[in-house]
Amino acid sequence: MWLPDDEDPRTYSNPQGEKATYVEYLANYRLTLGMKCEGLTPEQLATRSVPPSSMSLLGLIRHMARVENNWFQRTAQANGQDRIYWSEDDGDLDFNAVEPSQECVDDAFASWRREIAAAEEWFAGIEESELGRELPIAGRPDEVVSVRDLVVHMIEEYARHCGHADLLRECIDGRTGQ
Amino acid sequence: MTELEALRRWIDDLRAAVERKTDGLTAEQLASRSVPPSQLSLLGLVRHLAQMEHYWFVVTLSRADEPQLYVRDGDWDAQFRDAVADQAVVADAFDTWRAVRERADAVMDRLEPADLEFVWDPDDRIGSVRDALLQVVYEYSRHAGHLDLLREAIDGATGE
Repeated sequence: MWLPDDEDPRTYSNPQGEKATYVEYLANYRLTLGMKCEGLTPEQLATRSVPPSSMSLLGLIRHMARVENNWFQRTAQANGQDRIYWSEDDGDLDFNAVEPSQECVDDAFASWRREIAAAEEWFAGIEESELGRELPIAGRPDEVVSVRDLVVHMIEEYARHCGHADLLRECIDGRTGQ
Repeated sequence: MTELEALRRWIDDLRAAVERKTDGLTAEQLASRSVPPSQLSLLGLVRHLAQMEHYWFVVTLSRADEPQLYVRDGDWDAQFRDAVADQAVVADAFDTWRAVRERADAVMDRLEPADLEFVWDPDDRIGSVRDALLQVVYEYSRHAGHLDLLREAIDGATGE
């Protein structure tokens, strides 16, 4: 195992109700992705360690900052902001523009933590009865997503990228688990 | 769409993603440990996903007294280690996975929306039916991440 059980920050509290269950799942898989990145240098974080994939752990952090922003800000709150870590010329800027520097690492983690805090603030204000409410999807005219689908999608997105992070990390220093 | 319908749709979508990620490959490719030093293979993961659905839907939610699939004498690594490049092993894995999915669907067909709140072991407060279905979504998603990179390393195929 990676961390002793008593140092694992994740919780398994059997929350009651739909919203509380989503809150715990999301928190746990955000923590899992962060744990997969712990103790590595900027060079290791930026390494594309499972070729030919262009993914890196640092790219995943930038990607999840972008995804959090796209769903919880641009869609859930229709705030009209531009996407982050994205450009017209390069839709994969989150993965492609990764640099093995402390500056790039600090920027990515600061953006990710900022987006998580903003997402948590918005979801805290949602009532259980609102989970079926439909929201227009940013950038996709005529498409809607329910609050429930938005949040379950985020859980699925984190879990899938934690799967990528499992193999990226194992190929960097052999660490597995959690 | 109700919560139960939404969860079932997520599970179906993820099963379909696994079908696509494992489609069109030889037994050797399916069994290859294509991202060393990881011991994971596409075939090992199909066996594990069969075991996972069986555990949640048959052993846990249905309380069936059946041994866990592909786990012999508590040897969990056998799911992955014994996933060898043999057409019979490949056929068994996919047949088993699809058969378990049918049993899982039958379990979900009998659920009513209110059942999601049900805690299946009130003495131990192990968790709700909702939590079990979300665990299945989570398991499929995380392993789909493994499948993404394993498949790309085999033949460059990416995407959904």
